[in-house]
Amino acid sequence: MYDWLLFLHLLAAFMVAATAVMYSAVALGASPGTPTIRVADALWNIGGLGTLILGIWLALYVDGYEIWDGWILGAIAVWLIATGTGERARTELAERTGGFAAVHWVRTLAVLGLLVLMVWKPGA
Amino acid sequence: MTLLAAIRPDDWNLPLFLHLLGAMTLVGALLLVAVSLAGAGRGGSVATVRLGFRALLFAALPAWILMRGTAQWLESEENLDEDPPEWVDLGYLISESTLLLLIGATVCAGLAARRARRGVVGGGGLSRAVVVLVAISLVAYLVAIWAMATKPS
Repeated sequence: MYDWLLFLHLLAAFMVAATAVMYSAVALGASPGTPTIRVADALWNIGGLGTLILGIWLALYVDGYEIWDGWILGAIAVWLIATGTGERARTELAERTGGFAAVHWVRTLAVLGLLVLMVWKPGA
Repeated sequence: MTLLAAIRPDDWNLPLFLHLLGAMTLVGALLLVAVSLAGAGRGGSVATVRLGFRALLFAALPAWILMRGTAQWLESEENLDEDPPEWVDLGYLISESTLLLLIGATVCAGLAARRARRGVVGGGGLSRAVVVLVAISLVAYLVAIWAMATKPS
């Protein structure tokens, strides 16, 4: 059970990271086309929900973790930042406003922050 | 058992972080290549084909090097290098065989970009070859992610 939860949680994290990579190409000036953006958005939606739900499930399942551990609460807060900036990046890109790149890089930093928290688990 | 699985020495954290960063960037770059070039044959622009080439050359290959180098570092930190378990061998088998596919895909994408510049729509059959090579790599990486997470044997 633990192995499959971890595998699916990791897979969801790969989807989130893939969106960050795909949007980074746009932020760096590439024009990958509408289908690519659609796939990136779908990966973000599935991966975002997957990381949260499976992450909470893992926190409840693993004996050494509690949902109120500082690093888990911190990860949920960073996840909320990533989700908010991700939504804003999507809107900015669709409306072709100038703020897209800045919002996207904040989202990418949040995704990196999540990875740091998941690996180091400060306080665990 | 689940408690044991969650405990990891601090020394492993940096190589693990870099390994995951490399692997995630690699998979993201390959997905970008696959999706953007999949539509290139149906009237894709020169820019789309060039993006596929650049994503392979400047993102996927460096990410592969980071992923593979830190895998070796992790193996040595975990003292698995003398008698590596099956999941480690599987990881190396997948990473090394897909490197050949990635090099082949990068060469094909470069040639496709050159053809697209000369007016061949979407780089011709070479773009399709890139998509196939990248798709095979992505399936192999899915198996690798499963093996690294579940550590069979």
